[in-house]
Amino acid sequence: MLKVENVKKAFGDVIVLDGVNLTVSPGEVVSILGSSGSGKSTLIRCINGLEKLNDGRITVDDFDVSKPRDLAEARKRSGTVFQLFNLYPHMTALQNITLAPVEVLKRPKAEAEAEGRALLASVGLGDRADAYPSQLSGGQRQRVGICRALAMKPRYLLLDEVTSALDPEMTAEVLAILAKLATDGTTMLFVTHEIEFARQISDRIVFLEKGKLLVDLPAEQFFAPDGGLAQPRVAQFLSKMRKD
Amino acid sequence: MRYTEFTPFDLWLLTQGLGVTIGLFLATSLLGVLIGVVWGVIRFYRVPVLTQLITFVSEILKNSPVLVQLFLVFFGFPGLLKMNVTPVTAALITLSANTAAFVYVIAVSAIESIGRDQIEAARVFGLTRWQVLRHVIAPQAAAFSIGPLTALLVNQLQVTSLISVIGVMDLAKIGANLNLRTLKPFIVWTAVGILYYLAAKLVAMLGSALEKRLRAHSAFRGL
Repeated sequence: MLKVENVKKAFGDVIVLDGVNLTVSPGEVVSILGSSGSGKSTLIRCINGLEKLNDGRITVDDFDVSKPRDLAEARKRSGTVFQLFNLYPHMTALQNITLAPVEVLKRPKAEAEAEGRALLASVGLGDRADAYPSQLSGGQRQRVGICRALAMKPRYLLLDEVTSALDPEMTAEVLAILAKLATDGTTMLFVTHEIEFARQISDRIVFLEKGKLLVDLPAEQFFAPDGGLAQPRVAQFLSKMRKD
Repeated sequence: MRYTEFTPFDLWLLTQGLGVTIGLFLATSLLGVLIGVVWGVIRFYRVPVLTQLITFVSEILKNSPVLVQLFLVFFGFPGLLKMNVTPVTAALITLSANTAAFVYVIAVSAIESIGRDQIEAARVFGLTRWQVLRHVIAPQAAAFSIGPLTALLVNQLQVTSLISVIGVMDLAKIGANLNLRTLKPFIVWTAVGILYYLAAKLVAMLGSALEKRLRAHSAFRGL
């Protein structure tokens, strides 16, 4: 269970998260929607321990990310895919994937490489294992980013606007992989602007607005007139996003 | 043959001096790079007190003439520390410390040049600070710093000529002796200059060859 309890986070005077509560159970796909600046990415960065909380608690399988002793274990259980890929540019696609399994999980190198190659093959990059990030397209880089997170066998996959730096064609490449992961039962916390896609793959959709969680509903209810759409802010957001 | 002739044997003497120069250069460069990088790592870990001390020492070494530092070590240390300082020891201490001070600056800026996003990614996947330094930062920082480092070492090679002043028999000192004997400054200093040039060229070429290897991952080959 991934639990976010009454989390508050401010940068200086700017309050970014204002008492957020959220629970993700194993096997669930939860999408986070919201305008830019609503705190979606910050929430992800709080869960993986990149930002310190001002108040509240985040636990990943009961490991508290605010406790230095627990953080390492919490991080082993969650894998992050970043908006701008954040690959290591001096390493090949395969090396990007095997670094953490070998160094952190102490897996034998040959084993980690065999698994890395299998992962790359599963996202259609079987022949690009030895390419450097600079030799890959954006969509290919993000697929490597997903493999890098999956190689750690995380219980929770955190996806931070993973397609927003990609053109529509590359977005489709990446979403196809996420859809497959969702059907395979991967637990995902998915920050996105791809509303239709979120609707298809999510069990639940939450809506973040000015650091507060306004709506937390099963996916279909979120789009129902008497569900999420009953919230004026959600209706406004959805109609605007669909027009774009 | 008169003693004022510049003979092939004198060229042999000069190459011996070049040997001393290169030997001291290699030793002080190795020590200097090692110390400078260790200083950079200490700063990376933000070790309190030590970091401030290192920055202070490096500032002093960078902003005072090497010749003054050399005199301080050669003439000042024996009285102060009650130790015997030979010219070679003084040269080793001074040049190593001076190189270290500049390598420290290069190391710090190289470490800081690595994108924060990659470091965050590595931390999120559970790598320790040391593992991030070793696997993510160091290889890229090395590639970044090899250019400035080569330029520094080419310069430090020329700076070694200062040690001739305290009596180390390096290339410049042999040149000065030959000059006194032959009274042919144009020939002697041209020969000395060419030898320094060739040595410096070699350092620069090794540096750029290494840089090419370390930057193999970059697709950008220049305009």
